[in-house]
Amino acid sequence: MTALDELTKPAASLKNSYIERWKEKGGKVIGYFCTYVPVEVIHAAGILPYRMRATGSTSTELGDIYASHITCTFCRHSLDQAMRGEYKFLDGLVALFSCDHIRRMFDAWRYGKIDLPHSPYYLRCLSIPFKVDDLAVEWMVGEIDRFKQSLESHFEVKITDEALRQSIRTYNEKRRLLKSLYELRKKEAPPINGAEALAILIASTAMPTEEFNQILRRVLDELGERDGFSEYKARLLLGGGELDNPAYIGLIEGLGGLVVSDFLCYGTRDFWDLADEDSEPVAALAKRYIQRISCPRMVDYPERDKFVKDLVKDFKADGIIVQRLMYCDNWGCEGARTQWEAKKDGVPCMVLEREYMMSAVGQMRTRVQAFLETIGR
Amino acid sequence: MEQKYQVHRGLYDVIKTLEEQPLMKMMADWLGGVFSAVDEGKPILFNQFTIFSELMVAMDIQPLSPELWQVVSLQLNPNACCESIDAAQDAGIHPELCSANKAIIGDIMLDKIPPPSMVVLPTFPCDNSKITYQTLGYLTGAPTYFLDCPYWMDEKEAMDYWTNQFRGLISFLEENTGKKMDYDRLTEVVEESNRCIDYWLEGVELLKLQPLPLNGPFTSGYLAGLTSLGLPAATAAVKASRDDLIARLDKQETAVAEEKARVIWFYYPVFWDGGLTPWMAEIGAVIPVGLVGYYNAEPIDTTSPETIIRGLAQRGLQSPMGKQGRGASELWIDDCLHAVDQWKGDCVILASHPGCKWLRGCYGLFRDIARERGIPVMVYDVDLFDPRLTSAEESRARIEQFLTTVVFK
Repeated sequence: MTALDELTKPAASLKNSYIERWKEKGGKVIGYFCTYVPVEVIHAAGILPYRMRATGSTSTELGDIYASHITCTFCRHSLDQAMRGEYKFLDGLVALFSCDHIRRMFDAWRYGKIDLPHSPYYLRCLSIPFKVDDLAVEWMVGEIDRFKQSLESHFEVKITDEALRQSIRTYNEKRRLLKSLYELRKKEAPPINGAEALAILIASTAMPTEEFNQILRRVLDELGERDGFSEYKARLLLGGGELDNPAYIGLIEGLGGLVVSDFLCYGTRDFWDLADEDSEPVAALAKRYIQRISCPRMVDYPERDKFVKDLVKDFKADGIIVQRLMYCDNWGCEGARTQWEAKKDGVPCMVLEREYMMSAVGQMRTRVQAFLETIGR
Repeated sequence: MEQKYQVHRGLYDVIKTLEEQPLMKMMADWLGGVFSAVDEGKPILFNQFTIFSELMVAMDIQPLSPELWQVVSLQLNPNACCESIDAAQDAGIHPELCSANKAIIGDIMLDKIPPPSMVVLPTFPCDNSKITYQTLGYLTGAPTYFLDCPYWMDEKEAMDYWTNQFRGLISFLEENTGKKMDYDRLTEVVEESNRCIDYWLEGVELLKLQPLPLNGPFTSGYLAGLTSLGLPAATAAVKASRDDLIARLDKQETAVAEEKARVIWFYYPVFWDGGLTPWMAEIGAVIPVGLVGYYNAEPIDTTSPETIIRGLAQRGLQSPMGKQGRGASELWIDDCLHAVDQWKGDCVILASHPGCKWLRGCYGLFRDIARERGIPVMVYDVDLFDPRLTSAEESRARIEQFLTTVVFK
């Protein structure tokens, strides 16, 4: 098996062999719902952070007892999976007010609607600012401290400054390696396509980071030898919120678009910015998480617009697709604004609405095909 | 030259003639202030529907709540928001956005609302609001200030952070108007708003009586909050509403001849359907309290600028919908249960506004609790700003069926 095969596998299922091995050794796993959770703190506690997905879910029957039909399907499927006991490998869960959907889904956990595997179960909803300024960074320092203390108390561990520094180094290393991967995607004939890149990004949140880093180094070596993708109609920048199914990108790439970069949660937003390794670690994390490239939950759109424009230029994108889960308000308006801005720059842009599970494939195929025809070369 | 904002100007012309009624005078003053600001090129500040007006009044800045602008137009024409809603969608705004927000974006696009010089809102209650107001900032170029609210308020640091947001707001207003805050004037304004809120709280309290003296909810306080809280006219309007209740009690007048059910409508009213509440009263169902009238704020200590700013921050956490929407589900659920208990509700009717994801996400948990406590609950789909989803007739049919089969004894 190649290293690339190794790293694209975890995206296909909720659990994977790395998690199983971790659990067999008595390791703890904490699920988290958003890239604004400072995972380094969990890592420094010796716990494996696991980004929540609902991969494999086929219905929302149970989840819909507490979610509404205007809750996004990612949350409905996740809640359904939780109520079916699919996340029993978790020892805790961390969320925040990422959006109205996630905060309400998390309340179902808090209200005891999920059959938890053991008691006490670690549950925490972080209070993460929406603004990007010095006050917000200061608040975040306190919030990370409180988060750290609660993990220490619940799991009876000590999170030392040195452990935090080491975690920052480990995650920075992951982010640097991912940036190297994205550098390859700038080539005229990138050796990796968008579906594969997304699968790697998913793996980066579903296995021990140290192991991930080792394998990703091998992937980078392999890709140096691999023929590039040159038969494409258009180079695309893919944006939007939650997207954890490489098959969606497969659909776009099957029609001749090549996704060369992104502004996704499983993507640049998660790894583009590093934490300072030399500062006091909590302060470094606070700064990194507040000042990183934001998502529309943050009231910081001019910076986001600039980031998208830079990506278009740096990756020589011919067009932008903003994929959006139905009922997601943040990406609804953000998608419209991205279109308006792209239009000013003469960059074709479309918003593609979708559900969490692959559905309405024919309609999506038609829309993508038409979009590619308008921009294809 | 054709004058802009004809609908609102027309309404202004009508209510100006009714100025002997304090509530009409308050609303006429507000609309008149908006038009004066437009005509004289004075700054207009968009205050989102949870931001009350004291700081603007103290700095002589004209507040214009865009949501209230929509509500006003719906009083004349139930379809008043449709054109703007459609314009926003046509421009690429997603259809699932709250229709109030779509209407505001569309109003800006169609030049149906005066453009803001500044925009102010908190980071609650919902994604709709946060992302819409970012979009408004983008479309109008108006500087936008967000009051960033922590998710949990149980730690001292949270209140300090929130209070600092108000300090930042004052700086923002100063920077964007070139004026300094006059703290003596702010003290006067807050003393006036304390008086006004006393009347508001009294009015809300009087609606706990059985039978209900007047069909509620008590809305004048909230209208004052959005338009002119801190001005004597606002205090006079709310006092008049309170006095009206007292007068009815003295004369032993009641909202309906036979009170068959007290409905806790713990959300906003269906703004385009002004006839709904009177119709409910006709069949014996009264509404003693709703989210608009549900308010519980402490008087602000005016001994120093610091106590005032902290008081405004504390009060900022109590605004209707803001309080319930800023954090976890229990903020809304507990208040709704409190309303049932205190206003002696026989049932809860919840309008299920299609854009309102944060609140819809509470309903499932609330249903479980209500079932355990034996509180009948009806949730029904209706758009508060757009009559095209559920007609007035359909609304009435659903409500009547629920009341007659489940609630009326």
